[in-house]
Amino acid sequence: MELKMIQSLRAINKGVALVVGAGLLLCAAFVLTDIIMRQIGSSLGGTEEIAGYTMALATSWGMSYTLLELGHVRIDLLRSRVDSFKRALFDVFSMTVMTGVIITIAIKAWPVVERSLVNGSRANTPLETPLIWVQLPWFAGWVWFALMSTVTTLAALSLLVKRRHAETENFVGAFAEQETLQ
Amino acid sequence: MIVYISVGLLGLLALSIPVGIVLFLLGFGIDTFFSSFPLIRGLGNMVWSSSNSATLIAIPFFVLLGEILVRSGVATRTYAALDRWVSWLPGGLVHANIATATMFSATSGSSVATAATVATVAMPQAEKLGYDPKLFSGAIAAGGTLGIMIPPSINLIVYGFLTQSSIPQLFLAGLIPGIALALAFMAVTVLICAVRPDLGGTRRTFPFPQMLRALIDLIPILILFGLIVGSIYLGWATPTEAAAVGVAGAMLIALAFGGVSWSMLSQSLTGTVKITSMIMLIVMGASFLNFTLASAGLGRELTEFMTGLGLTPLKTILVVVVLYIVLGFFIETLSLMVVTIPIIVPLVVAQGFDVIWFGILMIVLIEMALITPPVGLNLYVVQAARKSGSLNEVMLGALPYCLTMLAMAFLLIAFPSIALFLPHALQ
Repeated sequence: MELKMIQSLRAINKGVALVVGAGLLLCAAFVLTDIIMRQIGSSLGGTEEIAGYTMALATSWGMSYTLLELGHVRIDLLRSRVDSFKRALFDVFSMTVMTGVIITIAIKAWPVVERSLVNGSRANTPLETPLIWVQLPWFAGWVWFALMSTVTTLAALSLLVKRRHAETENFVGAFAEQETLQ
Repeated sequence: MIVYISVGLLGLLALSIPVGIVLFLLGFGIDTFFSSFPLIRGLGNMVWSSSNSATLIAIPFFVLLGEILVRSGVATRTYAALDRWVSWLPGGLVHANIATATMFSATSGSSVATAATVATVAMPQAEKLGYDPKLFSGAIAAGGTLGIMIPPSINLIVYGFLTQSSIPQLFLAGLIPGIALALAFMAVTVLICAVRPDLGGTRRTFPFPQMLRALIDLIPILILFGLIVGSIYLGWATPTEAAAVGVAGAMLIALAFGGVSWSMLSQSLTGTVKITSMIMLIVMGASFLNFTLASAGLGRELTEFMTGLGLTPLKTILVVVVLYIVLGFFIETLSLMVVTIPIIVPLVVAQGFDVIWFGILMIVLIEMALITPPVGLNLYVVQAARKSGSLNEVMLGALPYCLTMLAMAFLLIAFPSIALFLPHALQ
């Protein structure tokens, strides 16, 4: 059951990653248009600002995909020297700590959103973007990441308890760098 | 506090907690033990402001650019073309490995991607032509490290971001050392193969018309490099904008070579998201740690610590070099760079060193970390692309290049103008 769930989470987050990637591509196109327009004497304006927002959103929403693809770098100097049960212990411990930190970040991200919401803050820029438009989806990305991280940790923990620790390697193990780069 | 950070850092990393998370944890610790006011209130704001950055969006752009080039088959053509030009040297194809890695460094910002690309393309050739697997694979691992030195470099963008120094200046400063390192790698290869001709495989010459035709395959990459670097220095574009130009250029090249498909594009996009998020978690963690360290008064403590040691600036730098070599055995590239910037850079700058120059020195040392065992990512990447043989062969093969890098580090210390000449000349 756990593995099936991870499988579907992976599929969902791959979709999210594709949307994020497409957003980045769009942003690149937008920046490019602006450079060309500047050369002919006008400008779309606000590219810096939009690039910043794109980056903030891409970061918060891309995290879960990286998590499930084992992309977050870990140093596995000790971990790689022990048997699969102890390795699973390392992994579950590290996932628990990670989840704790991510949940803290998500909680501490709320006041940022709340302030913009209460004050109706606008960016101090030519576009005067209402900050809440960007910060709310940004915050949602962190909540999503916290949720994914929690679920993944629980799945690994449940397998560990059932003594199926060899199967956790696949979704909470150390990073599989080669795979992605070829 | 310095002891706390050092012990905490190594301890938590050894537990194999993700590097970015370790940095956040250390920040929380500083807040709890060393600060009189609750710094954690700033956490949300730090995470927001360090990711809402038009500078850092250059990272996904450069990653995407590299992904597109790698996945569209351009690397294979480049390699074949460079083979025509450099295989007459003693060492033959080994030079093509280094030259291809150098060219890809000039367009992609990542060392690992560069090494992976060249390894996949080159390895089949090695067996066919009877090369010594050690030197051959070592050269790829080493050549690949140039990716973070020759602009555009993601690591230099992160360095510039965290130390608030000028990214165009850093790029300029990396150019001469990067090219010098590539040439030095080739010179070392020639030397080794002159002494031990059996290591170098067959030297081959190609008829001149074939060489000329091969040039056509190099032109797109050269134009792309010119476009990216040129648009920055002509003042048309910021590094971020130049990265967007690069993405468009890479797409055009991939289209021209017929390497674009839906699956290639989706792989490039998801690959970009994965690498970007990995980098950003570390960068955000470092920003938060930076913020807590500064608020808790690390600067003062460091100055006292240094005065207490009574080291001359030169000795300080030498200690720093040794520190990076030792840490480089276990931690690497971005992680090594980001976890040390908050402590080392203020210390070095306080001794009167140039922050741009130190960025380049740091990159050389971090490049070394990429090919020093037991943890040297490029070694593993090259090994993964090989069908046979052990990792030890790659390590041995990389050793001469490792020493070359060390020599470069000392040259940079002796003659800072190797790095600083261009940024000063073009200011």
